[in-house]
Amino acid sequence: MNQFVQVLLFGLTLGGVYALMASGLTLVFGVMRIVNLAHAIFMILAAYIAYFAFTIYNIDPIISIFITMPVMFFVGIAVYWLFFARIKGTARSGELTVLLTFALALMAEGLLGYFFSNIYRSANPPYATQALHFGPYILSAGQFYATLMSIGLIVLLWAFLKYSRTGYAIRATMQNISAAQVVGVNVERMSMVAFGIGMALAGASGSMMSFLFTFYPGKHWEWIAILLALIVLGGMGSLGGALAGAFILAISSALVGHYYGFTWSPITFFLALFIVLLVRPQGLFGKKMEA
Amino acid sequence: MSETLVSNEVKPIRTTESLKKPSRRQKIFLAVLLMLLVSYPLLQFVVGGLNYWLHMLLYTFMYIAMASSWNIIGGYAGYTSLGHNVFFAVGGYFVGVLLVYFDISPFLTAPLAGLVSMAIGLLVGLISLRTRGPAFIISTIALVMLVKITFDNWDYIGGTNGMTMPPLLDISLDLVKFPFYYYMLIIAIGAVYMSYRIRHSKFGLGLRAISQDEIKAEVAGIPTNYYKILAFGISGLFVGMAGGIWGYYLTYLKPNIFLLIILAAQLVLMTVLGGKGTVAGPVVGAILFIAINEFFVTNLGFTELNIVATGLILALVLIFFPSGIVGSLRERGKLPPFLDWD
Repeated sequence: MNQFVQVLLFGLTLGGVYALMASGLTLVFGVMRIVNLAHAIFMILAAYIAYFAFTIYNIDPIISIFITMPVMFFVGIAVYWLFFARIKGTARSGELTVLLTFALALMAEGLLGYFFSNIYRSANPPYATQALHFGPYILSAGQFYATLMSIGLIVLLWAFLKYSRTGYAIRATMQNISAAQVVGVNVERMSMVAFGIGMALAGASGSMMSFLFTFYPGKHWEWIAILLALIVLGGMGSLGGALAGAFILAISSALVGHYYGFTWSPITFFLALFIVLLVRPQGLFGKKMEA
Repeated sequence: MSETLVSNEVKPIRTTESLKKPSRRQKIFLAVLLMLLVSYPLLQFVVGGLNYWLHMLLYTFMYIAMASSWNIIGGYAGYTSLGHNVFFAVGGYFVGVLLVYFDISPFLTAPLAGLVSMAIGLLVGLISLRTRGPAFIISTIALVMLVKITFDNWDYIGGTNGMTMPPLLDISLDLVKFPFYYYMLIIAIGAVYMSYRIRHSKFGLGLRAISQDEIKAEVAGIPTNYYKILAFGISGLFVGMAGGIWGYYLTYLKPNIFLLIILAAQLVLMTVLGGKGTVAGPVVGAILFIAINEFFVTNLGFTELNIVATGLILALVLIFFPSGIVGSLRERGKLPPFLDWD
């Protein structure tokens, strides 16, 4: 029983980070209706920024979100302007855009691999290897702080969407693009802002990733597959769904890892994806999907 | 009123304009091309030293077969699959296991490997094709990861280290590429012929209707579910066969080689480059892609920059020529007859 709770806690403290990673992806999908397959490679780019900020300037990886978030926000705006502004609105743009993000991911992966090579890296702040004791249970300090920070950021995002004017406009766009346009929302601009925010969230995720996991450019396919499974489970474009999906899958993969060995724990995500597609194609919290 | 009714009845079929029979000149072109390809290896006896070109050609045949197969689900039906290398890996490993453990020649088992891939395609399609658009693409990526983790941890087939197969046929170095060359040629012809036949059938029309508007297609009485699952399965057939032969040709199988997502990316790129949903597009795209890739590899070395180039070309084509070479030429009315097979 003790061990079961211990594994549960381990899953919980990872869940917050997964939720942060998935929140940017699901936000971009909600507003732009595209799956950004390049989300994870931008997380890895941010992880490199955090890594070098730590090894060269000794900036704490958690603090480095104040660098990675604005940097990635502007990277996102630039990417949007360069790639997506052109093909928005053309016939069948949805499918084209997915392929375009795929091309973007390949380019970014190749460039990162060229400059930093495929060496496994991980930042090593003091808390990365410390443990926190809560009665009989032990938590990894790094995971615990990262999850707290992630949940804090998600709450901020939620408050921004709920209470700011831009947030209103973004939520309107998520609910119904043409209706939002009719009431005067600049959908094009909101898409750009949402993409920037999504990228900023990828930046924050990268900061967490830099000390929680080892990373290298080629690793992003594994990550994007995991994140996509999360958001399909929760229902695509639903922020609450992504949150729930993240915790459910983080905990179940921790359990699978504990009982069947850690090489099998990633398979949980993909099996879950197929089970969800079989039972409830629109996801746990999703509306019926459109074409 | 009655006039519109009449024109509505005639328009959607488009038999005369769109689905014409090959002309005499097209048939001659094909016959000459085929004769050249079949007799080319015989030059080896005259000049010798053609192994590099035989290798490049059989490699091209393989990609022609795979891109044409991908086109059936990705082009005709409009369901972008980023998981087609799963069929490639399944074919390779099926053949590999039968060769290593049971000593059966891959040349006999490759067609079976194709059928196994097709069966897996039907099975996966049954689940994956319950969704469309982004969720379908995601499910195909998840399929690759699922199979990769399984193969990485399956000791019977060698895990991450993969399997080494017995060396190639015991014949002279001049001849050793011949069986692979002809086998891949047959696979490529089979795949392109199948793509052509589907394009010119009721099934193909149904798939095109699905790609344009699935709900309307359903309303019009097309069994959309059955059609798209069948298309997904069929598109795995020749990819599995190619995988079986390719694994034997390489003499080893590794999850890291067969289940790289870049492989799936290349199939998409070739098809989009040549023209999605056309018969000649994937063929043109595969030839062009391999030529470009070979150019980069010989001039820049096999580095990460190749991945950048793949991504960059894909992005440029998507932004500026979304209908590909064949599609763009047709839109401008400049498509030469030897590329016009739709």
